[in-house]
Amino acid sequence: MRDTFRGGVHPKGHKDLSREASLRVFDAKGEMVFPLAQHIGKPAKAIVKKGDAVLVGQCIGEADGFVSANVIASCSGTVKAVEKRRTIAGVLQECVVIDNDGQYTETGTFGQRQDISGITNEEILRRVQAAGITGLGGAGFPTHVKLAPKAPLGIKYVIANGAECEPYITCNDQLMRGYAKEIVEGMEILLRLFPNAEGVIAIEGNKPEAIAAMEKAVAGHPRMRVQKLRTKYPQGGERSLISVIAGVDYPTSKLPADVGCIVDNVGTIYAVGRAVIYNEPLFRHVISVTGEGVQTPSNFIARDGTSFAEMIEAAGGLKTGVEPKKIISGGPMMGLAVSTVEVPITKTTNAVTVLLSDEVEKASLKMTTCLHCGRCTTVCPNGLMPQMMADAVIAGDLERYEKKLYGLDCIFCGSCTYICPAKRPLTQTFKQIKAEILAKKRAAQAAQGGGK
Amino acid sequence: MTLNLSASPHVRDRWTTSFIMHTVLLSLVPAAAVGVIVNGVHALLVILASILAAVGTEALFCLLTKRPLSIGDGSAAVTGMLLALSLSPITPVVYPVIGSIFAILVVKCCFGGLGKNFINPALAGRCFLLISFGSAMTRFPMLDGITSATPVAQLAAGKAVNITSMFLGTSNGVIGSSILALLVGGLILWGLDIIHGEICFAVLGGFTLFMGLFGGQGFDPKFLLAHLCGGGVIMGAFFMATDYTTSPVSRLGQLVYGCLIGVLGAMFRIFGHNADSFSYSVIIGNLFTPLIDMYIIPKPYAYHKKAIRAASGIKLPPLRQRIPKPVVALALITLIAGVALSGVYDMTKDTIEEQKKAASAASYRAVVPQAVAIEESEAAMEAIEALGGQVYGTKFGKAYINEAYVGKDEAGNVVGYALSVTSGDGYDGNITLSVGLDAEGRVLGIAFTELTETPGMGMRADEDAFKGQFAGRLVSQFVHNKGGVPGEDTIDAISGASTTSGAVVNAVNAGLDFFHSVLQGGK
Repeated sequence: MRDTFRGGVHPKGHKDLSREASLRVFDAKGEMVFPLAQHIGKPAKAIVKKGDAVLVGQCIGEADGFVSANVIASCSGTVKAVEKRRTIAGVLQECVVIDNDGQYTETGTFGQRQDISGITNEEILRRVQAAGITGLGGAGFPTHVKLAPKAPLGIKYVIANGAECEPYITCNDQLMRGYAKEIVEGMEILLRLFPNAEGVIAIEGNKPEAIAAMEKAVAGHPRMRVQKLRTKYPQGGERSLISVIAGVDYPTSKLPADVGCIVDNVGTIYAVGRAVIYNEPLFRHVISVTGEGVQTPSNFIARDGTSFAEMIEAAGGLKTGVEPKKIISGGPMMGLAVSTVEVPITKTTNAVTVLLSDEVEKASLKMTTCLHCGRCTTVCPNGLMPQMMADAVIAGDLERYEKKLYGLDCIFCGSCTYICPAKRPLTQTFKQIKAEILAKKRAAQAAQGGGK
Repeated sequence: MTLNLSASPHVRDRWTTSFIMHTVLLSLVPAAAVGVIVNGVHALLVILASILAAVGTEALFCLLTKRPLSIGDGSAAVTGMLLALSLSPITPVVYPVIGSIFAILVVKCCFGGLGKNFINPALAGRCFLLISFGSAMTRFPMLDGITSATPVAQLAAGKAVNITSMFLGTSNGVIGSSILALLVGGLILWGLDIIHGEICFAVLGGFTLFMGLFGGQGFDPKFLLAHLCGGGVIMGAFFMATDYTTSPVSRLGQLVYGCLIGVLGAMFRIFGHNADSFSYSVIIGNLFTPLIDMYIIPKPYAYHKKAIRAASGIKLPPLRQRIPKPVVALALITLIAGVALSGVYDMTKDTIEEQKKAASAASYRAVVPQAVAIEESEAAMEAIEALGGQVYGTKFGKAYINEAYVGKDEAGNVVGYALSVTSGDGYDGNITLSVGLDAEGRVLGIAFTELTETPGMGMRADEDAFKGQFAGRLVSQFVHNKGGVPGEDTIDAISGASTTSGAVVNAVNAGLDFFHSVLQGGK
């Protein structure tokens, strides 16, 4: 069996900074900010207003439609405002701001272990939806939608994504080491939804302790196994995992469920277990605060809404005497650089990475014209031709870009930009051009609709 | 605190354009070193002049056109180095300078600089020099100082070559002719993933396959190795064809491109007469690159037929049922026939060789009938050796003297001479004939040992009406008479096949000339 996908790169891992730092619970002290759009789909609607008292676990933003997710308060206190605040994306977005009273008084509706042997699949999905669970790995797709595919009986694999291929990040490693049993409980619930599926816990080979812990936990579960994967970026990408585990490559027009797979981050599966068994909504999750710029790189179980500033403080603060060059929400391959530490962590923030040197800045000085060396084509995990795509963009031939080169299938993993010796901004170009093409398509559709 | 903002990814690989180019430059150092050690300090001057001219030209161009100075990327130095390594070690220093200026200024800078040249600049520079200074460019030293043919020229003439010295780089040839050193550099680049193995091995594979199939000597390992080691095949495969800018990007495209170059190179070797043909085949490959890149675009993995079937759960019948029976049968027949043919060739190879020799010996006796013994002539052998497989003289077209023997009677008196001469100017391949001369130089008769001309036309050379014309005549040179007045020294052309008859007359004249200058006087 294959142990990896085709292509990929080997960026320096930097995981030693925080890999042995056990998970610590961190309770923020300052005000907490909850963006209403922290998931893919329609933003939630605020159901609290200024002055309302809220408790930990209380729903403050209600899902607006099916593809949307509830937003849960992670602290107790008073609603200070429902207003636009700066978020990780760098723009101002509608947020609920809570004046944290530091008491962390809970609603009392969760925390008690329940017997779930009798509950129906519909009840499982309802609890997941009520808990406001979204994918914790990156995109933030509402989990109750993902878990309700058209043909649940056709699902062959439920993949727990513990690859953690992004450099620096180690929180899932620690989660698997410390909470293997709970992850397996979550997986059991997923396998109830998909009776024909095998549960595969996929972990990169650079986490032997996590593999050992998970292997111990799945022992005795006939429908579960741990699969060790080769350490290579983007091993944790949905497509990469499916290509390795199910042996299937599928185009962007299809969803994993169409090829018989459900992929969820191990953190998401842990949250599903908590939500279904303990009725606990998703208001805290694991996060690494790492990078050369922080005093004590650490892994936390932190509450949503905590500011980056407080997270960095929790890790001992910035290193003294040095100026951070770049702070990233997430890892350096796909994470977002933030302009200020006064932004809140959300459900999808799995790391705060503080870098002392900016390789992008350095590389921009060494940029040359494209050599046509073809390194980008050998690393693309989807088998695209980044160099030809970039040429097509420069030539303005979007027809060739889309139809001949399948440019819209790019997943923006960044491997081509990473490897390019000429330091061309390939991924960045593709992101921009995809937005342009989609905008044109929407405009064309609208024009057609208007004509009728 | 000012924080940098940029789109992901936020990390970059350490390799830069400059690193890659300088690694390529370093990988050529072993070949350059062997070239300098074997050929002396002048080779070093050629290399330095070439690199300096290349880098200087690019720097000057950048200054004059107010562009950022781009020599730091190392690509100009690589071009200069490659050009120098593909030149003779006795090239005047001004040639690499001219070549480098042409390569960098015209082929690289004028087309937009790094990544924009349409053919390999180093090869373009080399071919520019070849065209401009033809004979001076193909002058090579023997190690004892005598100018002589390169191994490839010898191969073309059907001569044996010393493969070991070619491999080590001690035979005469270009500065970078040490196969061992080139392979060391090339394989390191391949190991580092700087050059694409698809290209190198497709070039070598295509070349070897075509040479084996059509080179006339089958898959004789010695013959193939000699061809692979000579004439820049290795340098072409590992360093020239792999130039990023002028080779296709897709893996399939690279295979196609590599095979094209390999096959063209072998074709030029077999059917052409230019020892430098490999440069041209790489350049032709370069010119096909945009076309290949336009049409060979690999589909993303998800759009491969297999992936589409897997994603939609369609299962194919087992392989055996998918391949139609006739295809299997045909493939088997081809395989068996191929094995049988090569077996027959191997079994009969020696016999054929012996028969060829016997045929030559018989023809010598036929053209010098008075002789009872045909003996070797030392003077003739030395003279032929000195020719080194080169074309004989300047007046006889592509004529080669193969062998010359002395015919003696019972008392040991010289009664005549037998020479074997080949003309490469036949209408359809080589014409080889034996000429018999008496001690004064009178033609006793001619006999063909290799004649594959058009039946009914050129083949009529073997009829007495034509070849009988030579016998019994004592002239210093024959004149090919195409419809003119017949005279003392004229040979009437075969009507409708004057190419063939001209080639025969030239061959006989070459033999006569050789006789007069080397053999006459009973030496």
